[in-house]
Amino acid sequence: MSPEGRERLSTVLLAAYYGLFLLFLYGPMIVMIILSLQDSRGGATFPARGLVDSFWYDDLGSASQAAVREAIGTSLVLAVVVGLVGGLLSLSLSMAYRRLGRFSTPLMYLVLLSLMTPGLLLSLGLLFWWDLLGLGTPELYPTVLGAQVVWALPFGFLVMLSIFNRYDESVEEAARDLGASAAETFFRVTLPIVWAGVFGATLFGFVLSWNEFERTLLIATTATLPIEIFSQLTTSVLRPSLYALGAITTVGTLVMVLVVTVITGLIVRRNTRAQARADAALAGTGLEEVTEAGSPAQPAPAG
Amino acid sequence: MTDAAGGQHYGVGQVDEADVIYGEEKGPTKASQVGSKLTAWLWALPGVLWLLFFLVAPVVVIVIFSFFEVSLVGFEAWTWTTENYETIFSSSSTYVDTLISVIINAAIVTVVCLVIGYPVAYFLATKIRSQRLSIALFIVALAPFFTSALIRVVAWIPTMGRNGAVNEILTGIGIIDRPLSWLLFSDFAVIIALTQLLVLFMVTPIFFQLAAMDKSAIEAARDLGASQLKVFRHVILPLTRPGILIGSVFVFVLAMGDFATYRVIGGGRIGSIGVNIQNAVSQIQYPVAAAQAAVLVVVMAIGVTVLLRFAKLRERL
Repeated sequence: MSPEGRERLSTVLLAAYYGLFLLFLYGPMIVMIILSLQDSRGGATFPARGLVDSFWYDDLGSASQAAVREAIGTSLVLAVVVGLVGGLLSLSLSMAYRRLGRFSTPLMYLVLLSLMTPGLLLSLGLLFWWDLLGLGTPELYPTVLGAQVVWALPFGFLVMLSIFNRYDESVEEAARDLGASAAETFFRVTLPIVWAGVFGATLFGFVLSWNEFERTLLIATTATLPIEIFSQLTTSVLRPSLYALGAITTVGTLVMVLVVTVITGLIVRRNTRAQARADAALAGTGLEEVTEAGSPAQPAPAG
Repeated sequence: MTDAAGGQHYGVGQVDEADVIYGEEKGPTKASQVGSKLTAWLWALPGVLWLLFFLVAPVVVIVIFSFFEVSLVGFEAWTWTTENYETIFSSSSTYVDTLISVIINAAIVTVVCLVIGYPVAYFLATKIRSQRLSIALFIVALAPFFTSALIRVVAWIPTMGRNGAVNEILTGIGIIDRPLSWLLFSDFAVIIALTQLLVLFMVTPIFFQLAAMDKSAIEAARDLGASQLKVFRHVILPLTRPGILIGSVFVFVLAMGDFATYRVIGGGRIGSIGVNIQNAVSQIQYPVAAAQAAVLVVVMAIGVTVLLRFAKLRERL
């Protein structure tokens, strides 16, 4: 076989392998979704009975599922708060990261430490920490909020870094040179460019909070949705209504991840293009050398 | 970890260089320099305080608690003892068995993640010509990571149970006569489920490293007549070693600390450290839970040290 032929064959084989890998990741979810669509005769395993029916989705609205609906309410509000706090902290940490020089490395390690902390360890530690401080029983706010924001931060932070990574610092310099204060520069120059990143970080925080289980388990005095799901799992027989709940949250999560990705992708592309245009404009006028020599830069002509 | 971190290879370094140049050679006056450093610290303050209070302190407190005396209300603060460790390591305790089994499982999961994940990263980073398509396909593989870990574990029950999808398909096409019972509620189930949960921690660093790799090195090796296998062994594999190390440390630590997978679809006989911890907490045996968890803190600390020492995590991100 020719080298090109071998190359093509290896690509095809790897592509097929990637397909199998996706089946491994998504397969169980698909099985769960299929079984959630049974009618009233359906059970937790095969054979599936009476497809396709919305019986178990309707069941989530029944009186016996009041605890689930209450937990959904609790989780929704918590997820919004975690998203907002996580988004703002991601923004401020990424603003700091750009300017901290050699201290930016320890800052990044501190943020990423949360990724490597087993979830149960964090909720156990918070349980003890609250006790030691004499704060009494851990509450949803601020204990669970604290734990979930810790979990959301590395993801929000990385989203913000990817935005700032394609961000032209010179627009801030220009604003300052034109006499804008630090606050004006931030609110009128920086924020309009990066706000979509903050939005993306917020959505990430929302999704991660909504699905968070082990970091919450030992400190949850009010049941969030995953805590309620776990208590159903451990105290009653597995029923397709749980699959219906799982299907809704899984599909919802996937859609939100898609939205975050598209937003981040679009803004990075926009900023890269703006940068390219600015570079082209500077190159055309010869202003680049002037700027580098240190004299105040003239605003480059548009286009 | 998204497309996001994709560009990070270049960006992180650039920011620093710019800082150095501005700080030392040109740019703002000394006073405004001090001002901007101060602003940077102010920006960092809320997030850093949050992380110290809600992440670092709790982890440290676990180690402290493990030396407190047990009492009826949970613990006797600031009364020191090593009794909790003697209890869990005593001959009547199953803790050591659990520890050994969890370490073995975590090691298996790490190896399986590497073997399964590497070809995926390799395919996405080197075989897809369009960068946008490669990132899009990466996101498709990454997305399940953000869905509920608990739900993903539950989904294995109808998939691998006695009457689950896998058994139905295997008996249907005649590969086996009777359903396999060891697919679920076993170490096998735990290893499969943990691999599915954690494999993206392996794929992600390797993918970004391969994507940032200078492709001309491969071309050159190939032009000089090296076989695909040789190119892989002598060029590609050494370049991705740090990515493999980062992925392995994350997967191993998180697999060791797992609770939900062992609790929901594990064999139940030996359990995991996580399951032990939850049991001890429900019996208000806080210092015992702390001693069991302290082992995880030590493993975590070793992991962090390995990353700091060998992987240069920051340059890779």
